[in-house]
Amino acid sequence: MLHDLIIGMAGSGGDGIVSAGESLMSASAKEGYYAILTKSFGSQIRGGESSCRLRVATTPVLNPGGALTVAVALNWEDFLRFGGELPVTADTVVIYEQKTGIEPAAIPLSVRPAVVLAVPIADLAMKSAGTLQAKNNLVLGLLAGWFGLGRQAILEGIRKKFGRKGADVLLGNERAYTAGLAYADEHPLAAEKRLSPPQTDGRKRQVIDGNEMCATAALFAGCKFFGGYPITPATEIMERLQREIWKHGGSLLQAEDEIAGIAAAVGASFAGRKAMTATSGPGLSLKAEVLGLASVVELPLVCVNVQRGGPSTGLPTKSEQADLFAAAFSAHGDTVRPVLAPISVEDVFGVTVEAFNIAEEFQTPVILLSDQEIAQRKDIVDPIDTSRFKLVERLRPIGRELEGYTRFRLTESGISPISHPGMKGGSYLAAGIEHNERGEPCSSGEMHEKMNDKRLNKLKPLQRRRDLFLMEGDPAATIGVISWGSVAGVALEAVRTAQAQGLAVKLLIPKLLYPVAEEIYQEFFASLQRCVVVEQSHQGQLHRIIRMWTNVPREFMSLARSGANPIAPDTIVRRISEMARPATRTTVTTLVPTLSNQ
Amino acid sequence: MAYTAKDFRSSLKPIWCPGCGDFGVVTALYRALVNIGRPPHEVAFISGIGCSSRIPGYTTAYGFNTVHGRALPVAQGIKMANPDLLVLVAGGDGDGFSIGGGHVPHAIRRNLDLTYIVMDNHIYGLTKGQLSPTTPRGAKTSSSTYGSMEDPVNPLLYVLAYGAGFVAQGVPADMDGLTRMIEEAIRYPGFAFVNIQSPCVTFGDPEDQMKVQKTKMRKLAAEGHDSANRLRAMELAQEYGTALYTGVFYRNPNPPATYDSQIRARQRNQQSAVTAAAAVAA
Ligand SMILES: Cc1ncc(C[n+]2csc(CCOP(=O)(O)OP(=O)(O)O)c2C)c(N)n1
Ligand code: SF4
Repeated sequence: MLHDLIIGMAGSGGDGIVSAGESLMSASAKEGYYAILTKSFGSQIRGGESSCRLRVATTPVLNPGGALTVAVALNWEDFLRFGGELPVTADTVVIYEQKTGIEPAAIPLSVRPAVVLAVPIADLAMKSAGTLQAKNNLVLGLLAGWFGLGRQAILEGIRKKFGRKGADVLLGNERAYTAGLAYADEHPLAAEKRLSPPQTDGRKRQVIDGNEMCATAALFAGCKFFGGYPITPATEIMERLQREIWKHGGSLLQAEDEIAGIAAAVGASFAGRKAMTATSGPGLSLKAEVLGLASVVELPLVCVNVQRGGPSTGLPTKSEQADLFAAAFSAHGDTVRPVLAPISVEDVFGVTVEAFNIAEEFQTPVILLSDQEIAQRKDIVDPIDTSRFKLVERLRPIGRELEGYTRFRLTESGISPISHPGMKGGSYLAAGIEHNERGEPCSSGEMHEKMNDKRLNKLKPLQRRRDLFLMEGDPAATIGVISWGSVAGVALEAVRTAQAQGLAVKLLIPKLLYPVAEEIYQEFFASLQRCVVVEQSHQGQLHRIIRMWTNVPREFMSLARSGANPIAPDTIVRRISEMARPATRTTVTTLVPTLSNQ
Repeated sequence: MAYTAKDFRSSLKPIWCPGCGDFGVVTALYRALVNIGRPPHEVAFISGIGCSSRIPGYTTAYGFNTVHGRALPVAQGIKMANPDLLVLVAGGDGDGFSIGGGHVPHAIRRNLDLTYIVMDNHIYGLTKGQLSPTTPRGAKTSSSTYGSMEDPVNPLLYVLAYGAGFVAQGVPADMDGLTRMIEEAIRYPGFAFVNIQSPCVTFGDPEDQMKVQKTKMRKLAAEGHDSANRLRAMELAQEYGTALYTGVFYRNPNPPATYDSQIRARQRNQQSAVTAAAAVAA
């Protein structure tokens, strides 16, 4: 029996492949499995090719996984369009539409899988349900029959979904599903490929994506204002918030552009409320100027950037980790804005709350770098224990501080109490122009130096926040891996696999990407001879930022590739075992950072 | 408690050139605020960047001197976050109708209860005399040595066309008129726009100066204009750049619900829906 199963399916828009994936996902949650569902589309608005991957397991799933255990192709053209997103190996069970007319021995793949099943999917759907629209439920029957995925839960799901659409429709879809089950039972697989029964603790798990998690966390953190502009793949944050935020006494503005969105959020923060904006790469570029304003007037603000392939419109529906430079460096002037990145859908909760807390505590804009994968994939997540989180509120002036109030008082910590309109005695001028302690415009070099000290030094304690880093593995290992964002989940699995193979290796996952926590990296590097940074950008942006700020190990390498080219756990395991071999004199990586695109 | 102009004047000394029209604007504003009678700490005063945008610093309100062109969106965020505040917005013609021009229609159609004051000097003052969006065709400026080749925007017609509920124009040459119209704009429940022909003594056209204004200005009230007549207001506004009308061009006699009042209503409805659901569940 298997503990971990990866199904990849592709078809054209009308085939309902993604909806089948969603049905499997909710059935898996109900049965007590853990799973990750990722969907991928061409960039057409409707129709076009679509695919999904479901990784379902008995223990928490860290990433969408690499090679498929099962591949389902409703037609080969669409399947092949997803290339590396649906990798097939010799061990993959391939199920495809017989009607394609291709012989099992002639399927258009570069590998020869041992098990290739041509199934008359369309014919069976027509026969059982009388409509081709039931093809996806027939596929669900096949998958449930062959791989032991929640037979009953899927049926209940079908009843719930089609129950409202009339008795005929429901009956047809039920019949298609049972026909699939029957076909699987009549054509058993040669080798056992069933998933082990789930281990549940009885707690109700939820199926949720990263954007929805972000919105939920923002409300929990006390967000009372959102200003934004629609952009894939961040829009769902706004869509979700606009349904809920009013109930929390807040409000939301779909602005005329990204600049207005963040400007309104800065305004709301000036008015004393926790505020947020969300966007993707092109929008982040537009917001850059106002982020600078928030830094200089020291107003808390959370700016979510859900990364997609770039530059410009780039690959708007695919994941990439190439906005790190933009997040860290697109400010003008001497500014540091904290940049945080979550590593999974569940982690989005904590990191979003942290982003609000840091923004409030340090009176600074914070960039939350999510990515398309985390934002739009669905995870089965254990209930979140919200009692673990403390909520931070900005320091406000009290009593005597409101007599002759000095908004930008030069305090030891660099943090000065912040008033808001309506507070008697707290009036001040928030000015983008450099100012003195009272907020009055001031162009003295001496005051500018002091204010820069204040704004930059106040963030220093952040760089010692060990809780914003995950460390795993053998602390004395000479081989290290660093990874961030959604790719960190892949690295985590790879490091565990490598350890299980007897390799001494350790992993560092920064959730605080900027400012660079020099001490924490330096400690991690102490035992290392070789280290690789794994990420999804062509330049290896974190690799370069770390080199900019720390003394890196002698061999400090980059395993980086452009977005839309998923990195599989195997690839990292292979790199770790290569690193475990003794060094040869031909190693060039000390001189030239590898921009390997393997 | 009654306030005096002193309560609204900050200790900062304006950086404006002696004789700049903006001095008159800030004085009229102090007077209008005295008449309104809200305490300074309940006033939020937002501006962009420019000579004129320095104005919040010269008041005792909560001031926010933001970035070039973005005063309106910042102000809307403030008003949405706290509808109880009196929110004023100000800036230059460049700030409002060039870099920030795209925000104006949206502020108007949303109709938050804001007062937007533009100090229209037909020039970029702070950057020392370049073409502004309201500079007349043919004008020679530091960025148009051989004369401007473009037509100016017409701020009055612009905001009237988008449906602003209150539109007025004033000049510092007429302090009483200016004070009254700012006060009326603040009292108007919704988006109110006041275009002030505020001369730039340093880079402006000699024909725009206060002395000339005094002879050129024509009071709309004296012309018998009915400020409830929007089409007539638009006709008069066509003459921007030739005739210098002052006073209220348009005041919507039936102001529609403001965005901020709708926010309050939605918060109440949604919150009571939650309470009702909880009561059912209990
Ligand atoms: C993004 C940006 N671009 C350009 C500038 C430079 N700048 C400052 S004020 C200004 C124009 C000022 O003209 P106006 O808004 O009409 O105000 P005035 O100074 O005439 O009162 C310009 C171009 C800036 N501060 N920010
Ligand atoms: S440059 Fe013109 S607008 Fe600016 S302060 Fe001087 S007179 Fe006023």
